[in-house]
Amino acid sequence: MTKHMICALLMSGLITTSALVHADGNAAAGRKEAETCMGCHAIEGYFNVYPSYHVPRIGGQQAGYIASALKAYRDGGRKHDTMHANASNLSDDMIADIAAYVSSQGK
Amino acid sequence: MNTVGSKTKKVRENFYMISLRPMILACGLLVAAAAGANEEAAAAKEDAVPFENKIAACTACHGENGAKPIMPEYPVLAGQHANYLAHALHDYRTGRRNNPIMGAQVQALKLTDSDIDRLAAFFSAQASPLSILNK
Repeated sequence: MTKHMICALLMSGLITTSALVHADGNAAAGRKEAETCMGCHAIEGYFNVYPSYHVPRIGGQQAGYIASALKAYRDGGRKHDTMHANASNLSDDMIADIAAYVSSQGK
Repeated sequence: MNTVGSKTKKVRENFYMISLRPMILACGLLVAAAAGANEEAAAAKEDAVPFENKIAACTACHGENGAKPIMPEYPVLAGQHANYLAHALHDYRTGRRNNPIMGAQVQALKLTDSDIDRLAAFFSAQASPLSILNK
């Protein structure tokens, strides 16, 4: 049982890692795609209206995480009306580019 | 006089015994119930995961102080807005945000509202690579 679980974990790790290799995006291209993101994510202290919390800081965030979040918003797995609307027309390649750009914008 | 006096006393004692018995019983039940509740509370306390372990459960994947995740798909927590982190944890707890790993963690750690606030405050206060996007 434990061996199987370890195997499964290792396998899922390998699959995820290989998926991410393909997900390497072009930050320069992503800069243009990310124009819409600026409306909220480039404003210090900007608030999500309801429920009320600060729009997250995404500059410097992990590219893989940004990509998976955008895909989840696009495909409906993660629920947020504005993010769903903004992500709904993005291709996987566009998402990879945006993720590369966003992750390069840290401190 | 004496006999009458002792008879009256006996009647009075009987009266007290009969009329008070339900009250005594009720008191006994209350005490027993309170003891039971205390035992439950003590068990829950013993069962609770120490806060340091909750931090450690997060940093196992999100890296030291939540600043260096072990996988590119795991987010940096350090320096993120506390209310956003708390919102995410609440959503994982209710299942509104569906992630198998986070859902399992939040359940296993039995995160309370207060835990969520403390974890969010802790990670939000850590040195971080995160910033807003530059226009």
